[in-house]
Amino acid sequence: MNDNRPLSPHLSIHKKVLTSVFSIFHRITGLGLSIGSIFLALWISLLALGQNYFFIFEVISGGLFFKIILFLWTIGIFYHLFNGMRYLYWTYGLGMDLKNVYTSGYIVLFLTFLSTFFVWFL
Amino acid sequence: MRKSYSSKWIAQRITATFLIPLSFWFIYQCVSFQKFKYFELQLFFQSYVNSFLFLVMMIFMLIHSKLGLETILQDYISSSSLKKTFKRIINFITFFSLFLVVVAIIKINIV
Repeated sequence: MNDNRPLSPHLSIHKKVLTSVFSIFHRITGLGLSIGSIFLALWISLLALGQNYFFIFEVISGGLFFKIILFLWTIGIFYHLFNGMRYLYWTYGLGMDLKNVYTSGYIVLFLTFLSTFFVWFL
Repeated sequence: MRKSYSSKWIAQRITATFLIPLSFWFIYQCVSFQKFKYFELQLFFQSYVNSFLFLVMMIFMLIHSKLGLETILQDYISSSSLKKTFKRIINFITFFSLFLVVVAIIKINIV
């Protein structure tokens, strides 16, 4: 097979519409959360290894960089969760007309920011 | 071949369904931790229920990630040799993480 054939979805040539942007962000957050899951595995391993090893995590988690990553992780997981529920709903063929697709998209955004706000500021 | 793709599609959705309540549970627990200190977390994971739920969440999360990343590879990487290499890397990381989580949970609860 020709390795250089163009692949769909052709991200660069399509007009950016809400639905495609949502889909792209679902993938980006999915990629980020996948990397996050590796760190969750490392985190629980440090905990199992004992206090001396867990100290590594305690030092890292004290920094501002960690806080920023954790904040982004919160937005990412809430977005992926709520948008994922929207996709699961679509799996059953429900809510797929244009009006509902846009409404549910805005609801996803609203719930994402609301949940992130609750977790970090309340 | 076609059958394996459809079963992957279904598996992606089944793991997603389980991950919804499990993720909310985990986020809720994380928020309720005071400072992520060693003894606090040790106490948390010494409860069998918490350890079990965390283990299940991690297994589903890693499977879900693996399937999702493979879909992304399928869409954006055209070179089949590069695709194979990436698939191997994803497989390795998935199983290594799975191994770490299982061993860690066993060590915290049983050993």
